[in-house]
Amino acid sequence: MNRSLLTAATAAVLALGLTACGGSGTGTGGSSQADPAAVREALDKPADITFWTWVPNIDKTVALFEKKYPKIHVKVVNVGQSEAQYSKLQAALKAGKGAPDVAQIEYFALPQFAITKQLVDLAGYGATGLKDKFAPSAWSQVNVAGGMYGIPQDTGPMAMFYRKDVLAGLGATPPRTWDEFNALAKKIHAADPDKYITYTDPGDAGTGNSMIWQSGGFPYKVTGTTGVAADLKGDPGAQKWAGTYGALLKDKLLDTTPSWNDAWWKSMAAGKYAIWMTGAWAPAVMEQNMPQSKGQWDVAPMPQTTAGTPASAENGGSSVAVTAQSANKAASVAFAQWLDSDPEAVTSLNKDVGLFPATKVLLDDPAFRSATVPYFPGSKPNEIFAQMSQAVRPGWQYLPFQVYANSVYKDSVGQALKPGGDVPAALSAWQDRITTFGKEQGFTMK
Amino acid sequence: MTTSAPGTTQAAAPQSAPPPAPPRKPVRPLTRRPRRRRRGSTVLTVLMALMLGYTLLPLVWLFLSSTKNSEGLFSSSGLWFSNGFHLFGNIHDVFTYNDGIYLRWFGNTVLYSVVGAGGAAIFATMGGYALAKFEFAGRRLLFALVIGAISIPGTALAVPTYLLFSDAGIVNTPWAVILPSLVSPFGLYLMRVYAADAVPDAMLEAARIDGAGETRIFFTISLRLLAPGFVTVLLFALVSTWNNYFLPLILLNDPKWFPLTVGLNQWNSLANGGSGGTQPMYPLLLTGSLLAIVPLIVAFLFLQRFWQSGLAAGGVKQ
Repeated sequence: MNRSLLTAATAAVLALGLTACGGSGTGTGGSSQADPAAVREALDKPADITFWTWVPNIDKTVALFEKKYPKIHVKVVNVGQSEAQYSKLQAALKAGKGAPDVAQIEYFALPQFAITKQLVDLAGYGATGLKDKFAPSAWSQVNVAGGMYGIPQDTGPMAMFYRKDVLAGLGATPPRTWDEFNALAKKIHAADPDKYITYTDPGDAGTGNSMIWQSGGFPYKVTGTTGVAADLKGDPGAQKWAGTYGALLKDKLLDTTPSWNDAWWKSMAAGKYAIWMTGAWAPAVMEQNMPQSKGQWDVAPMPQTTAGTPASAENGGSSVAVTAQSANKAASVAFAQWLDSDPEAVTSLNKDVGLFPATKVLLDDPAFRSATVPYFPGSKPNEIFAQMSQAVRPGWQYLPFQVYANSVYKDSVGQALKPGGDVPAALSAWQDRITTFGKEQGFTMK
Repeated sequence: MTTSAPGTTQAAAPQSAPPPAPPRKPVRPLTRRPRRRRRGSTVLTVLMALMLGYTLLPLVWLFLSSTKNSEGLFSSSGLWFSNGFHLFGNIHDVFTYNDGIYLRWFGNTVLYSVVGAGGAAIFATMGGYALAKFEFAGRRLLFALVIGAISIPGTALAVPTYLLFSDAGIVNTPWAVILPSLVSPFGLYLMRVYAADAVPDAMLEAARIDGAGETRIFFTISLRLLAPGFVTVLLFALVSTWNNYFLPLILLNDPKWFPLTVGLNQWNSLANGGSGGTQPMYPLLLTGSLLAIVPLIVAFLFLQRFWQSGLAAGGVKQ
């Protein structure tokens, strides 16, 4: 819809925000008068805090908090999703006022706010003690730029959703390896030229990154606050993904289409794509937008290079961060900690809101893992998701300007995501865009 | 002027001219020369029909989609009805979802558009008139600045605007959207060009000789002559403030002050968001979009009759 305008605008806003990096900045980092004891005490003191989030129904979880700690009033504001919110947040942080106390920030966008010290380093508030409560993959995402800048809220370990009816019609089973995946791609397209094994969205950088990650790639590295390496050309995982998808595109076995619009949902509901590889948060949206496809889908682990060694990646996922501007830092930290780690809260986030948990409280809970989901009758999707969560390849880092990098994916990699496109060359073009921008922003690019 | 179907009486018209007179002096036919009727070009007609279809198709799609529920939306063709007619149910849902926030957004958009576009049209008219009809130092420079201002995209100004407004303390208030909307460089340019031709200097001089002050001249004489230009600018400004997206997106944080564009985009996010609400959002989003364009269509239908040019053409002998 407004994506292209928004990305251009986002790039403009972000460029402005990042230029400040290296300078003194407006934030204090908040760690100066940080005190873990103050966080506990803050729960019993009156405070008003503002929470920016776009997740529908999260007010139900927040209501539980207010019931438990009636002195704290949390104002939940939906200011728009993802890039829309980051543009706004960046502007408010830059202006020095108008930012919320607490904000939901996706993992991929967290480094950019952390590196400019616009968020509170939660380590000073004793939040590092929560480490054992979270899945390692989620925990590593909030520990960036030498500090801890968010509490993990939800994760999106990648899994493979597949159409039972389409696969059954061909006598096929879900592919366990990429070789099986390629063979199935041929089979599906040969049986019905209108059907594809899956699609790839030329504008969806998030999934592109996740696929690179799942293939064993770690193209981005951040050292200190200014050293950045972006290596998509030489990264084995990135090249492996490019090889797999490049070959499929060459043989016209992969559909390239923008996703998340009505036409795409229509294709999904009609079984045009036999497989959808995405984050574990997907069931809630599937149920909402494809109620008629209930029972047609099932879940399987991601395809692997060699069978039997599971590896997955994260797709999406958010943290909750406290801004350096917050006037009620202790109360805000206390709220963020409760929201994302209290058993009552995380259960509500999963049940009422539909988020896939980042906490072991649920991930290791047999009742959660074996729970049935109405949309997938006869199977236990949470078991697969939890396995995939454990199998997330450790060590992934995002760029400190990933929001910008993602916004130019469409102009570089996206251009090659079409029949016959040269994906490896496009990755190299993307790398050049990233390097140029990084240099312009004052990062030391390697 | 009467129009007649091709191939009827028009062909006979020349014969109603007087019979050839003795050739003493050339006589011009008394009746009007027959109007040459251009036969419609088939190619052009087909092209226009294609363009019309291209323009109307999205609207047809939007209307048809608004009559469907979530299930029908993703299982039927986009260009025909599906099981059941859900338009009224959808409209009801749009107006009741989240305590009727849509109506609030609608009201906000009307407020921003009427005050913003109305103000922009008035300012552009006054400014354009002044630039066209008064000699003063720096007139050319001022005009050059205006032309230059047209070429700066609003997106580039959004962040500086935010910082400025943040200092002024009007971020997250309606003023943050209305104030920038009041400025329309394109409108000013249009009105300058229009005023130069539409308001004859001789008429202004006559009025001055009769003792009218400049204010009175502007409001009683010039404004009437400028009306078609004014309406044009008003329509342009109306469309651009009604559709304004990025500025309110950056400047407003409270959903209560959102205009329809930002609000509907928020619904779009909810429809696709990483987590499901209890209500399928697509039908709401589409029906909400359909309702959002109705006022613009109405505005065009009502205002276009004022949209005629050359009221004073021939009023003064130049």
